[in-house]
Amino acid sequence: MNLKISALDFIQEVKNGNISAEDFVANTIERIQSVDDKLHAFLYVNEKAIEQAHEVDKKVKSGGKVGSCFGMPISIKDNICIKDTKTTCASKMLEDFVASYDATVITKLKEQDAIFVGKVNLDEFAMGLTTEFSAFGPSKNPWNNEYVPGGSSGGSAVSVSAFECVASLGSDTGGSVRNPASFCSTVGYKPTYGLISRYGLISYANSIEQIGPLTRTVKDTAFMLNMISGIDPNDNTTIDDKNEDYLSEIDSGIEGKKIGIIKEMIGGGIDPAVLSATNNAISKLESLGATCEEVSLDMVKYSVAAYYTITATEAGSNLARYDNLRYGYDFPVEGYEFNSYISKARRNFGPEVKRRMIIGGFVPSAGHAGKYFLKALKVKSKLTKEINDAFKKFDLLITPTVPILPFKIGEKIDDPVSLFLVDINTVTANLTGKPAISIPFDNSNGLPIGIQLMANSMHDKLLLQAAHALEQTVTLPEIPI
Amino acid sequence: MVTEEEIEHVSKLMKIDVDDHKEYVDKVHTMIDYFDILDSAGVESEEITIPEIPIANLRDDEYIPFDDKLIEKLNHYKGTYVRAPKMSS
Repeated sequence: MNLKISALDFIQEVKNGNISAEDFVANTIERIQSVDDKLHAFLYVNEKAIEQAHEVDKKVKSGGKVGSCFGMPISIKDNICIKDTKTTCASKMLEDFVASYDATVITKLKEQDAIFVGKVNLDEFAMGLTTEFSAFGPSKNPWNNEYVPGGSSGGSAVSVSAFECVASLGSDTGGSVRNPASFCSTVGYKPTYGLISRYGLISYANSIEQIGPLTRTVKDTAFMLNMISGIDPNDNTTIDDKNEDYLSEIDSGIEGKKIGIIKEMIGGGIDPAVLSATNNAISKLESLGATCEEVSLDMVKYSVAAYYTITATEAGSNLARYDNLRYGYDFPVEGYEFNSYISKARRNFGPEVKRRMIIGGFVPSAGHAGKYFLKALKVKSKLTKEINDAFKKFDLLITPTVPILPFKIGEKIDDPVSLFLVDINTVTANLTGKPAISIPFDNSNGLPIGIQLMANSMHDKLLLQAAHALEQTVTLPEIPI
Repeated sequence: MVTEEEIEHVSKLMKIDVDDHKEYVDKVHTMIDYFDILDSAGVESEEITIPEIPIANLRDDEYIPFDDKLIEKLNHYKGTYVRAPKMSS
């Protein structure tokens, strides 16, 4: 059985009766069992997946109403709640937490007969960009097991690229979908802020994070967006996309479109192979009829500092709930004083989460807020103005997704500032609420390179059309597993 | 410039033990020092824009009963209350 097919091809094959969802899911589970010891994408595998796929097949055979996913096997980042399923956030703190409700995205996918094959690894509470901060051990890059797969949605990207599922859902707070997509050679999408409900996504930094799909093709991403986007009464930040069909007209091309090349994202520190791939992508877009020109966003150089200041502040507040009384690690209350009890419970957070919580207590505190938090909010406002001005002139913006190639596991873990700078090209979309996509574009000595395109808010359809056009120009090597 | 004492004080307020000085105080120090770059952004006169959601767009403020008895999922549930540790030592 060919597990490498796209989501849309899978659906067509099941519809036509060429394959059964049950066989495909059973082969997918076998695949997970054979490769995941090495890759460690999965934290939990759904033992009922095959049985659930069998039920979908029964509906197909009986001519009953079948959901649009036709039993497609999907993996879910383990910070998105599935009712009656463990949702750990890759943290010892939530090691035994079983979600009591479905996230809205899960409800929508269940209604469309998707099959969840399992929950996948992440940096603890989505704080990181390598999965090295998972309390349950890092995931490995399928292109080279000595290298990080990116993060924080590393398990999602690994599971898609290693054919352990057809598509995955991750979450993107500062690049956490696009970064691993780039490092593992999959498509990764961060929608316009509010396009996808965050209800049931365990909060890290509510004001900027979004759930997003990781898939093999841009068309699959458009399909996933059709499944999960839209207004939700349980998330007041969602926006009404009027049931937009992101897949229709995806072949529209980009002739006549104006594309800005963000100067600050192709500057110092960029790997020569990444720069060369970016220039190649620009040439290809021009050959498709777009015009490309440099644009400067001055605030980009301050964006990473602003991003970490804002996200740490929100994390400090969001993670206050893990006091072991409402959520958290289980041990008896007898013999403890209130504060020492909570401190003991919080020992179950990993080092990066603790560091960000300390920062989250510090940067908005009286005496320091003016220097850090308020200034970060001002940078966010000014960056938003700059990018809005850019979109008056340009339809799209282009950058490399990550300025460097995937690096070895352990290489940067002790250097927080060098890790910060890996985010330099991705945080802008989060701080400004714009949609952004990473497309697999090149490969340097066996390590993938992704290209990022951004569009103005609610121009997700245009963004997908452009990404699809660029994707059609690319031929990439087969993954060596 | 942030001092180590300030970091240790905030850690205590956040109820986080910083027994491993290198892992926490030193690294947090490095991270916060990096944020000093914000001083050169020249944004002092910039206004902070906050996205506003019209009240009409919010769902009605009505009690929506939950299917499960949520309180029973808490670890230290006793009858109709949750047991917490005593407030003073």
